[in-house]
Amino acid sequence: MPEHIPFIKMTLAIFGLWLCSICCDTVGQIAFKCAAISPKRQSGWHYWFAILRSYWLWIGVSAYGVGFLFWIAFLTLLPLSQAILLGSANIISVMIVGRLVFKEQLTPYRIIGVSLITFGVILVGIG
Amino acid sequence: MKRFYIIGFACLLLFDTLGQTGFKFSALNARPLDYSLEWVIRILSNKWIYITTLSYIGAFFTWMILLKKAPVGPAFAASRLQIVTVMLVSIFIFNEPLTVTRTLGAIIIISGIIFLALAEKKLASKQKDNQ
Repeated sequence: MPEHIPFIKMTLAIFGLWLCSICCDTVGQIAFKCAAISPKRQSGWHYWFAILRSYWLWIGVSAYGVGFLFWIAFLTLLPLSQAILLGSANIISVMIVGRLVFKEQLTPYRIIGVSLITFGVILVGIG
Repeated sequence: MKRFYIIGFACLLLFDTLGQTGFKFSALNARPLDYSLEWVIRILSNKWIYITTLSYIGAFFTWMILLKKAPVGPAFAASRLQIVTVMLVSIFIFNEPLTVTRTLGAIIIISGIIFLALAEKKLASKQKDNQ
């Protein structure tokens, strides 16, 4: 941790970057889902042209582009293992926003599955 | 429906893993890291960076096809299975060490995937009952 930055400012910076990074990942995935289900014709070349023309796809791509920068900034302030621990929260946030936006069901088995995966990703990240 | 998910996720996993492996090979082949034009040329003159690019394109198409039907929350979680496959590639190809924590993490990720698959099975049978 850089010595010259006061602790409280450092903590705020880490928290802010973390929040921005998680938001970008979540917006990105939700936008990709919107793009995938938006075309009226669901097959063939028409489907892919409609996706490429859909603004949702480009919102998703931009969100990932910006999110990448936040993540790099976040990584400069934290060691990788701690960063992965915090970064895995995007699994949970995508699930919650998927529930809110697309009415995806949160069955007990899905909650257990997603929680286990999040925990497993953290363990692998800690190494 | 079941086959759609199995084939879809298998393709996604293959593309994701190949993409990460390709990145690592590109980085190794471009050594030494010196932030110069020569370094960029060394990256671009190696086949691995193109394999990586193609993998990313393949992963994008597969992901969009999956998202047409799959719920984004559980699917995004399930796509993390690539961490396990990348870990296996790291051990066998790049001789990276395998720790107890990582092994445990991999087992927990796989058990999470099994729960997600069971959730789909339950939801599918519930839908059948309602019809």
